[in-house]
Amino acid sequence: MKRTNRIGGRKNLVKTILLTTFMIISVIIVMLPFYFMFLSSLKPGTEILRKGLSFTYDPGVSSFGNYNSLMTYRDGIYWHWYKSSAIIMLLQTVLGLFFASAVGYGLAMYRFKGRGVVFALVLILMMIPFEILLLPLYRSLIRMKMTNTYFGVVLPYLVPPFMVFFFRQYVMGLPRELLEAGRIDGCTDYGVFFKIMMPIMIPAFGAMAILSAMNSWNNLLWPLIVLNSNEKFTIPIGMGTTITPYGNAYDVLMPGAVMAVVPIVIVYLFCQKAFMTGLTAGSVKG
Amino acid sequence: MKKLLSLLLALTMLLGVVPALAEEQEPVSLTLWTFQEPHTQFFEKMLDLYNEQTEGPKIVLDMQVYPYEEMHNKLTIALQSGEGAPDITDIEINMFANYLKGDIQLEPLNDIVEPIADHLVMSRFENYAKDGNYYGIDHHIGATVAFYNTEILEQAGVDYKDIKTWDDFREAGKKVLEATGKPITTWESNDCWSIYPLVNQHGGDWLTEDNEVRMDEQVVIDTLQFMHDMQFVDGTVQPAPGGWHHTEEYYGWMNGGGAAAVVMPFWYAARFLNYMPDLAGVMKVAPMPLWSDGGHKTAQMGGTGTAVVKTSEHLELAKDFLSYAKLSFEGNIQSWRILGNDPILLDVYGTDELNAPNQFFDFFGDDMFEVVESLLDDVPNTCLTDAYPSAADVVKSQMAYELVIAGTDPAEIAKNCAQELRDMIE
Amino acid sequence: MIHSSEVRGRNKRWNRAQRFLCAPKVVPYVFVAPFILVFLLIYLYPTISTILMSFQRIDGPNISEFIGLKNYRKLFSRNYFMALSTTANYTLWNVLILVPVPLLFALMIHSKLLKWPNFFKSILFIPSLTSIIVAGIVFRLAFGSLDTSLANKVLGMLGLPARSWLMNSGTGNFVLIALTLWRWLGVNIVYFYSGLQSVPQELYEAAEIDGATAMQRFFSVTLPSIRPVLIYVITLCILGGFSMFTESVALWQQNNPGGVGRTIVGYMYMMGFYKNDMGMASAIGLTLLVLVLAANVLQLTAMGFFRKED
Repeated sequence: MKRTNRIGGRKNLVKTILLTTFMIISVIIVMLPFYFMFLSSLKPGTEILRKGLSFTYDPGVSSFGNYNSLMTYRDGIYWHWYKSSAIIMLLQTVLGLFFASAVGYGLAMYRFKGRGVVFALVLILMMIPFEILLLPLYRSLIRMKMTNTYFGVVLPYLVPPFMVFFFRQYVMGLPRELLEAGRIDGCTDYGVFFKIMMPIMIPAFGAMAILSAMNSWNNLLWPLIVLNSNEKFTIPIGMGTTITPYGNAYDVLMPGAVMAVVPIVIVYLFCQKAFMTGLTAGSVKG
Repeated sequence: MKKLLSLLLALTMLLGVVPALAEEQEPVSLTLWTFQEPHTQFFEKMLDLYNEQTEGPKIVLDMQVYPYEEMHNKLTIALQSGEGAPDITDIEINMFANYLKGDIQLEPLNDIVEPIADHLVMSRFENYAKDGNYYGIDHHIGATVAFYNTEILEQAGVDYKDIKTWDDFREAGKKVLEATGKPITTWESNDCWSIYPLVNQHGGDWLTEDNEVRMDEQVVIDTLQFMHDMQFVDGTVQPAPGGWHHTEEYYGWMNGGGAAAVVMPFWYAARFLNYMPDLAGVMKVAPMPLWSDGGHKTAQMGGTGTAVVKTSEHLELAKDFLSYAKLSFEGNIQSWRILGNDPILLDVYGTDELNAPNQFFDFFGDDMFEVVESLLDDVPNTCLTDAYPSAADVVKSQMAYELVIAGTDPAEIAKNCAQELRDMIE
Repeated sequence: MIHSSEVRGRNKRWNRAQRFLCAPKVVPYVFVAPFILVFLLIYLYPTISTILMSFQRIDGPNISEFIGLKNYRKLFSRNYFMALSTTANYTLWNVLILVPVPLLFALMIHSKLLKWPNFFKSILFIPSLTSIIVAGIVFRLAFGSLDTSLANKVLGMLGLPARSWLMNSGTGNFVLIALTLWRWLGVNIVYFYSGLQSVPQELYEAAEIDGATAMQRFFSVTLPSIRPVLIYVITLCILGGFSMFTESVALWQQNNPGGVGRTIVGYMYMMGFYKNDMGMASAIGLTLLVLVLAANVLQLTAMGFFRKED
């Protein structure tokens, strides 16, 4: 996809400048809290409290010392949290994308008996407050002997209903003739799904991959119930321990929070590139 | 055949020997949950000391730190599903009553507490007791004291040692306001650390042992009226910035000399060290002002009870370790040194070990424990029944707000809150 | 050694299985099978168990007592309705703001006039990955009650008196929405953007040739094309509004002054865990489910969702 101004001219240039300026301002506002977080991560915890919300860089008290102490905090446990978060994120995203896209596709592309019931169940499952399922869900997990395992964490998210719903919606907007065309070409229905539809669904996969990764990365409640050992904890659980009603460990909290964001943003940027190229490839094929 | 027999023989011998060996040498692994990372440092220290001197099996402690709220959720779920609970666990005082409902899953600790009851601040143990059984051991007394900013008080010509009663406190507030324009103290609008200590010290409480509501008693109304008058008649008190005394906004403001005093439990001293370092040498600890119409010297507030879980496979060992960690002389000294707590063992007060120099004495001066000692003979009970979580909720979300933000008439507040609580308990 | 007849037999069985799986009547069920399996194996028991619990008092691992409708009767208290009104109010604003604003941003990013669109899209997504705890600290400080807090300084510059932002429901809800917008803007942009990408370029070109203005193109081409995604985002906004909890905790840490900012899920959480009343929590959760379902069915019907289905 090329992003050049096909119709050049002064009018469009003015628009471009206005639009880009507006976007830059929005991005600055959105990034302010993050900027504060980063500045604070360089200062001793007491400095944050002394100065409150300060957006100025203070060379006198700033250093990367907090990052050093984060690395050695409780014998470098932060890296274990990181690893756990990454494993769970990968597992949950890959499995979730695969299953949810198939289910969503099935619901959108075919008319079959019970379709309404299945879709209604998807919606209901999406709307049940997860908090009230915790206790019975944990009981099931014990029976399956999957407590304290990564797979136990992923289990309830194997076919995330919100993803099924999204894929269904996405496929509803796709031309149904593609299925017929594929069949005529001699593809099985599964072949059509994998070879023809999946490439067209790449924007949806891109969006869902990002959101699934985000959900998994931020998830606190369920992993915490499932996991039982410090080393298997995820970043949100670990970071949560620096917060108590009797005072917070700001020295660890701030750099820990910054460190948690940076790599996943890099992954995001990388993915975006991959998805963009995939997209153009897909549109050629489709 | 012979071979097989001898093999069998050897096997049985081995089987007989292995457990005997294990009893002597295999260390026993215990799991401990806490939501306070500093507590692991304390338990680690006590574990080393325990293993050094014990003659029984050594212990390996598998300590897990969880976020505060989630640790309690996880404990609830583990106890209710009957699997996955630890051997030993910290439970916050506000949550404790929840674990004393119905079929209690915690182990009574009477056999380690009762023999030395005379040496302990027993009102601390009542918080974690039901039907005569003690289920938790606290890390501290949590005696409420007054922290004074002497710099501000001096500007107003007030000596903090002259503030004996709440009436003195009120008069001092007027002088401080006049001289500096600053409030003498702050009331919490979102939490209970202002109202509850004052009411409890005054002789009031939220509930009786039988869950009858005491929120609309005259002593509660009088206390609220006093607080109301200081804030709205004298103007010498303002709502705590950020809503309560544990917010970033409050720390920064107080650190910059926001108010002349704050009345909080003793353990709040550690917040000054960690979050308000500029007040070093300026803050002093003093007894809570007294009510002229009766009441007590202080109120014991906050806390974390450490409990042993019934499903533990090593109940006796867990109890033995807990007893050593939290009831021994050494344990109580370490609790002060590592965590900044006022110990629950009376024997430690007045000893050199307790008064050995440390960062707290550097900050507040060395008379901190003289203050606590003067209070020890009059620490009232708080009544933490299974309806207490509801009471705490009403105080936090309704009473404090109506008193400090809405400025509602105290008699009406007491009536409304009591009604609300009664509806909740039913 | 494998006999050839065995191979043939296996092939035959395989072929038969293949033919069965590819039968037009079977294919759709294969596609939705993962969901049905997960539902039956993982979710069915907890759901039934939760419904049962809502009629029980639970006092320990094996002690529960059926108490009929008592949980439900006790449920509709002042606190419940306060939480409900907070939640409903929040949901309304959530839909009113978190649908159009991200859509506008997505359109701008998708427009060929903007420079560095991918960069902006990525940056706007960062808040959703940021620790909500830390974001809470930042927002609490920015909307602090002191005269020196950022928001009060802005008010001061405008000649307005300082406020205790988080202490009353009007301004409290405002901060809550601000935090939500900050956190979820990028997420909804991702949804809309993926929808915009699937709109065939030819449609725009055709409209352009017809001389349609930008506005006309938006309403006649863009909006109808992204309608499925739009329905999805609105549904999720309603759902997200009703089940909001994290943002409220970030701002008030469950110390809700006069009930300001306490949501239904917050209330449920308090009943279930602070007061250890799982039966009551289940009852609250189920009423919430009914409410969310009703709201969503209403919205979906209004958008003609069910009509289109068959």
